[in-house]
Amino acid sequence: MSATLLSVENVYAGYDKADVLQDVSLAVAAGSITCILGSNGSGKSTLIRAILGLTKPRRGRVLFDGADLVGMPTHRIVGTGIACIPEGRKVFPKLSVLENLQLGAYQEGDQGKIARRIEQVFGIFPRLAERSAQLAGTMSGGEQAMLSIGRGMMGEPKLLLIDEPSLGLSPRLVKENFAVIRRINELGITVLLVEQNVHQTLAIAHHGYVLSQGRVVASGTARELAENAEVRAAYFG
Amino acid sequence: MTLGLLSQYVFNGLMLGMIYAMVAVGFTLFFGVLDVIKFSHGDVLMVGAFTGLATYLGLQALGVDSPLVQLLVMTVVAALAMGLLGALIAKYLVLPLRLAPPLNTLLITLMLGSVLREAVRLFYPQGSNPKPFPRLLPADFVSFGAFTLRADSMILLLAGLAAIVAVHLLITRTKLGLAIRAVAQDAETARIMGINFEFIVLLTFAIGSGMAALGGLMNGLYYNEINFGMGLLLGVIGFSAAVIGGLGNIYGAILGGFLFSALQSIGAVALPALFPGTSTAYKDVFAFAVVIIFMAWRPTGLIAEKKSERV
Repeated sequence: MSATLLSVENVYAGYDKADVLQDVSLAVAAGSITCILGSNGSGKSTLIRAILGLTKPRRGRVLFDGADLVGMPTHRIVGTGIACIPEGRKVFPKLSVLENLQLGAYQEGDQGKIARRIEQVFGIFPRLAERSAQLAGTMSGGEQAMLSIGRGMMGEPKLLLIDEPSLGLSPRLVKENFAVIRRINELGITVLLVEQNVHQTLAIAHHGYVLSQGRVVASGTARELAENAEVRAAYFG
Repeated sequence: MTLGLLSQYVFNGLMLGMIYAMVAVGFTLFFGVLDVIKFSHGDVLMVGAFTGLATYLGLQALGVDSPLVQLLVMTVVAALAMGLLGALIAKYLVLPLRLAPPLNTLLITLMLGSVLREAVRLFYPQGSNPKPFPRLLPADFVSFGAFTLRADSMILLLAGLAAIVAVHLLITRTKLGLAIRAVAQDAETARIMGINFEFIVLLTFAIGSGMAALGGLMNGLYYNEINFGMGLLLGVIGFSAAVIGGLGNIYGAILGGFLFSALQSIGAVALPALFPGTSTAYKDVFAFAVVIIFMAWRPTGLIAEKKSERV
């Protein structure tokens, strides 16, 4: 496999004094879709927050493209080439679809590039093109999910963090979303996907980790994980 | 009432409304990005007016006596100085308390307001006395029968309008404005977009405080007098105007400012007419009483912000 783009090394992170993540280490290969599986409260979202600097890791390193992200403010971490599609989509409800997309490319100064990327997103989600002037908060959940994904692509990141894309969506939309994630990956964007939806996730991921109570309890290729007893234990045990 | 007197009331009301709106815009901007009430805002306005006055005296001493140059330099110095003061207040008093209960921010900015007020009173030469503010605008006027248009009032009104329109354009048409709106709606997601949260907060406080300085100068140029306590009532009125309009909404703040001055004007005209012998000085009592009744009827203000949208 190709070089490691992101490596999380022995990270401890949490809120107040309790650590949610304990000694978490993982690697994301450039060009891959790597998934983090785990049930509610396993620390998946904290891991995303720790990578983005929203929750400062107390110990450990987060190496991205050779630089240690720990201690950097979030906007600088984003500037190194990381984007995030946050849990619950988090579109800006009182901004238009177009403005939401523009914010996804906030650190891009070249208007021509921004315009091209908007066209690219509209190509993937024609629905967004139809609604470009509409306020994001007035759209359906499925449309907001499209917008959130499109916004995440706008910065043309090297690494895209996707937090629970299937949350609150109908099975049909979940399926469409996963197809889009695969398509994004094929454009050359490395994806770190955090999910509860085991089957769909393992169907598109190359590599995965299982988190349980803030620790990595299993890792391997998607196929290995699909057959792994620990995975079943983490979900059904 | 004669037409001349009526037009005077309308003009005066518009002028005050403009000043109130400029103060209210600050309150609503601060609340928008950080969900805080900064009670030192009125006193920042007062310090802005005194900064303008001190600049004027400095220019006089330097021998600069063109009113236009004096006015421009005063405006720029006062707005920049208060912008800087606002950013410093945000950085060292408001942001560090972001995770503390909102009451602490309220208390600390209330204290800061007193400090600013007392500092001007004690350290500005004879600061406890009202200071004459120079008449720098042309005193020309044109009369249409009973109706008199004064050039200085017109200039002030237009300048106030220009300042409000400029802030509006900054917020709605620029990339920085988009960032301010994003931070106001969802600070954490704004950070994930790569927005420098702290910079945007400081910038917003600078803009609001610069507006307050302009409001202070307008007040000085209109009444030709300023004093160390002027920020107290203007702060309370600006805050009321922002709340009437619906905190967090810029249009609401502007609307609230003019509404409050309209209430004062109505109070000044209607009370003596309805109850002969009542002084027009009851206009503030009338205006605030109406505000209290209004808030009981419509607690979220004129342009309500839906709570669910402010996750």
